[in-house]
Amino acid sequence: MQRSHTVCWILVLAITACFSLGAFPSSVSAEETPAAATDQKDAAEKDAADTAKSDTEDERDGWMDRVDKWFGAKVVAPLAAVLFFDLGAVARFFGLGTEELPSTGLPFVVIWLLCGAIFFTIRMKFINIRAFGHAIRLTKGDYDDHNEPGEVSHFQALASALSATVGLGNIAGVAIAVGQGGPGAVFWLIVAGLLGMTSKFTECTLGQMYRKVGADGSVSGGAMHYLKDGLAELRMPVLGKVLAVMFAILCIGGSFGGGNAFQVNQSLRAIGQQVSWLDHESPDGVPWVYGIVMAVLVGIVIIGGIRRIAATAEKIVPAMCGVYVLTCLYIIVAHWNHIGWAFGEIFRGAFTHDAAYGGALGVMVIGIKRAAFSNEAGVGSAAIAHSAAKTKEPVSEGIVALLEPFIDTVVVCTMTALVIVITGVYDKEAFPDYAVLVERNNGAALTMHAFGSVIWWFPYVLCVAVVMFAFSTLISWSYYGERCWTWMFGPRSSLAYKILFLSFTVLGSIVTATNILEFSDLMILSMAVPNILGVALLSGKVRRALDDYWRRVKSGEIAPIKK
Amino acid sequence: MPWLPKKTVVVPIDFSDESFTALDTALELVADASHVRIVHVLPYMEVTDPGVIWEAIDDDSRRTHAEDALKERLADAKYKGIQIQIGFGDPGREVADHAESSKAELIVLSSHGRTGLSRLLIGSVAERIVRLAHCPVLVLRK
Repeated sequence: MQRSHTVCWILVLAITACFSLGAFPSSVSAEETPAAATDQKDAAEKDAADTAKSDTEDERDGWMDRVDKWFGAKVVAPLAAVLFFDLGAVARFFGLGTEELPSTGLPFVVIWLLCGAIFFTIRMKFINIRAFGHAIRLTKGDYDDHNEPGEVSHFQALASALSATVGLGNIAGVAIAVGQGGPGAVFWLIVAGLLGMTSKFTECTLGQMYRKVGADGSVSGGAMHYLKDGLAELRMPVLGKVLAVMFAILCIGGSFGGGNAFQVNQSLRAIGQQVSWLDHESPDGVPWVYGIVMAVLVGIVIIGGIRRIAATAEKIVPAMCGVYVLTCLYIIVAHWNHIGWAFGEIFRGAFTHDAAYGGALGVMVIGIKRAAFSNEAGVGSAAIAHSAAKTKEPVSEGIVALLEPFIDTVVVCTMTALVIVITGVYDKEAFPDYAVLVERNNGAALTMHAFGSVIWWFPYVLCVAVVMFAFSTLISWSYYGERCWTWMFGPRSSLAYKILFLSFTVLGSIVTATNILEFSDLMILSMAVPNILGVALLSGKVRRALDDYWRRVKSGEIAPIKK
Repeated sequence: MPWLPKKTVVVPIDFSDESFTALDTALELVADASHVRIVHVLPYMEVTDPGVIWEAIDDDSRRTHAEDALKERLADAKYKGIQIQIGFGDPGREVADHAESSKAELIVLSSHGRTGLSRLLIGSVAERIVRLAHCPVLVLRK
């Protein structure tokens, strides 16, 4: 025990040491960062301001640049080389279709996610469509039996999982997708959301099947459990263990990246557009203050153990989703004469070869990447939250879980996407001022401008929304990460994890959006590698359970509980 | 003739078969089952756990559940009179503290025999109890 603790602390110290050594090397000098003023229309004026700003930034913010550069070169680049291996390179090697290959490359993990989702959808005979009505009835509580094992109701489990999924990925990620891939990316985003519903169904059913209910009634479940125990059942214990450990490590990384630093980074970019002293681009900006405040607030919850704050943050998510969707609808209706055009652009962009957006294949890669990043389908993280649901029918929670990508991607992401497309802020020619935001992956800032184009106070609504979404996502993802960490290192080392988690919260306010996005993509999307492989191997078991469950629902054996 | 006629013996139980074997061994050492105190230690739950967030589960309900589960498992007549204690926190520390406060003469436990990486990372509860205990500890090998 003593040793385990020591090992964890050594780990924390080593990582901290790496950061401090790598972040402040004496030989590295800060290069000039071109700063842009988005509000200035005159190009000459802008150039002058740029130079002035980068000069001051060099002296004042050199340390922030160094942290960023170190993070990009030492953490992101080596990981990307392995995890985002470009299948296009293989095709080029064999001289296949080099003209059609997109500039984004064909990252292995994106193809993997898509193939997985299609395979599950066919294997489960389009459960995402045929069980949709049943999913809503389950979530409403029509089938809830309080005597069944587990912790929370179907609705509560879904809400908890949603608080992790709905975040800046929906607001900023989608804007990045449209910025990089044009309106066509929206089409693939929605397709990936619909197919992802079955990936989510399959993994969350497994999460329930292999969860462990303790003598005290508490539940622990998730991909690490079904990978290890499920594959052991299939006489592949070694593969199961390897995949489970791989998943747990990547999930911890995901909780530092997409579930944490990305949220802080993008919400800060959005707020920076309204509050100049938090703006990265402003000469007097102190953006790291936001990171510290966020880390303190999250620390109060996860280390201080203040339940009420966590509960409020999580319970408010469905309401915030509602407010966000209504605001988006208002903007869309205000541009009603553009709606037809926007849909036309989305369909046209999805299938036509537009070199500016990396070609048709590139648009698809971008759409799928951002959808998976947002709804986490195929990634396996949500199985941790869904395994807490009170039920003796694993399939029923899987069916509830398939609503998650629907709400997250097909509803919320689509709203953001339509707002971005309809207002045209993604278009470099129509809005040259915003081109720099697209270039630097400042998605949330782009959404902010789209919101501001209709009613002057809408950006403030968005400010509140991004902070709430970011905070609740941090809280929920810290739970996912902590589960994986204690699964590997035992519960005594959980404090070490929490300290690391909070340091990434601060880091998120310092590092540039592009590096954070890349790191977050790497961790979260790569979780799909062990997860989809394991889930595919176990899909036969899910299919049998599903067929049996569906037969009993149809025959009335499983009927709504009369209250 | 029992080894420890009137002394208290503490047995940590984690619901594994090995821990119940340790309990049987402890019963052979004492004159009466009422001299045996079993301790089951639960980890604290994270406030970010969905069950805690939605107030569906708390330490009281967990204690009741665990006590019921233990009583059900120990329904046999030979276990009659055993005292049950539920603790929260670090198992090693809790068991040692409980042994001290109940003035136990001996702690009997089983070792799961973790090896390799998981031993390095998670460590051994048995080892920790031996280190922290105020009284002799009997560790049964698997």
